[in-house]
Amino acid sequence: MNIQQNKFLKKIAILASMLSMGIASMAQAAIVGVEDTTFNLVAKDGYITSGDGDSLYMWGYSTTETHNNGLSTNGGMQYPGPTLIVNEGDSVTINLTNEISILGKVSIVFPGQKVTATGGATGLMTNESTGAADTVSYTFTATHPGTYIYHSGTNPELHTEMGLVGALIIRPSTDPETTAYGPDSGSDFEVENLYLVSQVDADIHNQVELGYSFAPADPSHVNMSQQKPAQWFINGRSLSDDLFPDFAPWLPTQPYSALVIMQPGDRTLIRFVGASRDTHPPHLHGNNGTIIARDGRVMQTASGAGADLSVSDNTISVVSLATHDVIWTWTGKDIGWDIYGDLVPNCVDLVDNHTGAATSGTPYSPGDGFDDEGHNAWEWCEDDGKPFPVVLPELQDMTFGGFYSGSPFMNDNGSLPPGEGGLNLWNAFIYPWHSHTEFELTNNDVFPGGMFTAVVIIPPTP
Amino acid sequence: MNLAGIQMISEHIVITRLKKIVQEQQTMTSFKLTPITGMLMALLWVFAGPAEATYFVQCPGDNDGSGDAIIDGATDPTNPRYPDGGGVYSYPDNTRCMHVTASDGYVKLNGREDPYYFFSYHDVTGKNEADAGIEGYVAAENPAPTIIQDEGDELYVTLSNVGMIQRPDLADPHTIHYHGYAEAATIMDGVPEMTVSINEGASLTYFYRAEEPGTFFWHCHVEATEHMQMGMIGNLWVRPAQNRLPNGTVLGSHTHSNPDNLGGTTPRNQDNPIDGDKYVFNDGDGTTLYDVEYPVQVTTWDPIFHDASRDTQPLPFIDMFDTLALINGRTYPDTLIETALTAPAETLGYGTDTAIQPMDTVIRATQGEKILLRLQNVSTSDQISVRTLGLTMKVVGAGGRILRGGGKLDGENLYYETSNVVLSGGDARSAIIDTTDVHPGTYFLYTTQLRLLSNDTEDYGGAMTEIIIDAP
Repeated sequence: MNIQQNKFLKKIAILASMLSMGIASMAQAAIVGVEDTTFNLVAKDGYITSGDGDSLYMWGYSTTETHNNGLSTNGGMQYPGPTLIVNEGDSVTINLTNEISILGKVSIVFPGQKVTATGGATGLMTNESTGAADTVSYTFTATHPGTYIYHSGTNPELHTEMGLVGALIIRPSTDPETTAYGPDSGSDFEVENLYLVSQVDADIHNQVELGYSFAPADPSHVNMSQQKPAQWFINGRSLSDDLFPDFAPWLPTQPYSALVIMQPGDRTLIRFVGASRDTHPPHLHGNNGTIIARDGRVMQTASGAGADLSVSDNTISVVSLATHDVIWTWTGKDIGWDIYGDLVPNCVDLVDNHTGAATSGTPYSPGDGFDDEGHNAWEWCEDDGKPFPVVLPELQDMTFGGFYSGSPFMNDNGSLPPGEGGLNLWNAFIYPWHSHTEFELTNNDVFPGGMFTAVVIIPPTP
Repeated sequence: MNLAGIQMISEHIVITRLKKIVQEQQTMTSFKLTPITGMLMALLWVFAGPAEATYFVQCPGDNDGSGDAIIDGATDPTNPRYPDGGGVYSYPDNTRCMHVTASDGYVKLNGREDPYYFFSYHDVTGKNEADAGIEGYVAAENPAPTIIQDEGDELYVTLSNVGMIQRPDLADPHTIHYHGYAEAATIMDGVPEMTVSINEGASLTYFYRAEEPGTFFWHCHVEATEHMQMGMIGNLWVRPAQNRLPNGTVLGSHTHSNPDNLGGTTPRNQDNPIDGDKYVFNDGDGTTLYDVEYPVQVTTWDPIFHDASRDTQPLPFIDMFDTLALINGRTYPDTLIETALTAPAETLGYGTDTAIQPMDTVIRATQGEKILLRLQNVSTSDQISVRTLGLTMKVVGAGGRILRGGGKLDGENLYYETSNVVLSGGDARSAIIDTTDVHPGTYFLYTTQLRLLSNDTEDYGGAMTEIIIDAP
């Protein structure tokens, strides 16, 4: 095990104690964000912690409002900007004031919305705030539910690199907590997550911090042409910071986690947001997902058709400034062995697990084919009782990951050599969701790092 | 011949070669870490080295004690997975086995005389498990061996880590990650941070029940950035059950042809040419029918990174910039050589009986045939588009699923036609070229990332090959 991996595991060890304190709170169904119809955002500068422990100078939108998890950033700069959550039909107002002293003007554009801007100074793309006394008001009606991005419309190449970017979520008027686009849109979910991808070139941030000018004609202006990122982020944090809970106290300017926690059979909605210049292809281990919407529009032949033009894939190409909505689920169906390690079949399948409707099936003959809730929920009954197909090697012949429970089975653990494993507190199945441009899995030349998070499939509630 | 016998002979070969190398080295005035001196050090380590390795193949029905991953018996007396009553267990006929080793190797690419150092796998199915080490040392193949499954197969792949000879300091474990496998379990998913990986001198057996037909790929996931850049990636695809329908089955407006009764009296996973319709998916209407198939696995390498690995230098992740582009393990114009390419001299006798670049990369068809291209981008740094100049591709699959709404067989039709398929890292697409109205001749398949049409500093190379349509 090399030094780089040791550092990684030391960080992860802290995660173990953090998670043991707040497991219940982590299995939240909704994305952490600010829910309102009027938002007062202030553009501020500050610092974030990069994956290799460095401080990066950033610009970001800030809010004093309390997030929907009861916590607040108290008006401090955050990366990414606050996730704004509104409801379909809302008349939304976002007031922006610029308090970044070295930055003359800043603004926000809202792709996908029809925005009226008042106040501030007239800019190229939209109205801009030139200072603390100069507030711009952006108003729009949240006509279409979906996942959207917002970012600065002033010199957007530099401003998004510096961190002036965030996600906007418009919830549907019907079934807002359980669908992304309303009933019959193929967007039903039990768990919801933000997956906002971005990158940083520290050289550019250093130049900005050192006071390089922004005027292109100035020979000593910030040089964007050699952009070469060495840090990659999901929801504003690199691996392994992105596995820590939301509002981790030692990451005050990076409030959002990227860890996904769910149970077998849960449909998780992943809201992908491309908040950086490059295209990133997150690869989802464990199963394919269904890409049901792009840029806030369901891929369907007609409204109510249920995302019938959706595409199934395990690698989602997230282009710069695009958004995608993916529904992902996992049960271990047809894997060919019992994921609980049972040798005696014990499946109970009398109802359809999604609808709860009783079926006419007798135990162990198809209802929906899956074990019912209250037991080994969502176990695929055909695999029930089938033995594990291979013998694992001796302990000394294997290298163990920190997230290995010591057992190949769900809801089980096994003995490991001292110091090994220990991070799989739930006896869960854990998969990485990471960029498949593997070069992005580094923190400033150090592997592992970068654009890498995990989904934790915890055993069903008995 | 037992392991001790092999070891003695190998030691003799090594000592002879060492003497030769020492003679050559005596003319050098200063020590330079080259492949030759590195090999010298490595070989000294190997035979002074660690405890004797134990490679162990698991394959139901491989009962002759050889551990050669060949099913030779109808019964497997000890395997509790196949209870048959009476204490006799017989494995089902959808059981398949494979044995691969993980090691390092050298490959000669266009644009440079010095071969490139790389890591990969080598197929040792059919060799005794005790010989895995000697068979696998420096025998890395480019690309890694192809894994082919039939829908419903239960495949046991044993991975033996035989160590990296050029780098005795590097005790990396390895894994297999079956990219895109549906409903995977962590233990078989091959991500070292989340599960187990196999150390040097030992074997780990993976189990894959093939449920989804389509185009996938496989690769090592240990220190993924490094091991994938260094080349540990292979092709993988699954053939649909629809191929095995009885002769004459009506599929929409298409009638299935299966004169050899594949899946009936003719065993499945038939590698001999069979007369019968082949499809990419269980399309139900014959729209993914094809006649000839070719994998097109495109990747990129950074020569500086590979040389740094060979020379035990810090690996420049931050400066990774790929200037070599390969299709199925070859650069252009080697992509046009229609035979296997063997190992360069730097392997010092290891693996020279194997083809290091075994895959033929020229795409050939007779006018009127449908060509299936199994396109994949496995580059660690680049987006790659694949263009077929003068030919139209119909994309019928993505992400290991049929290109219909929701990836479902009864979903809305989403097939599209193009001459340029965009592939981000990790993308796999199945595309069919119908040559019915195509003039016979030579066409080109190449990447539109024009920078990748060179072999490092040598212009006129990279990810390009030919599609040759012969007159009927």
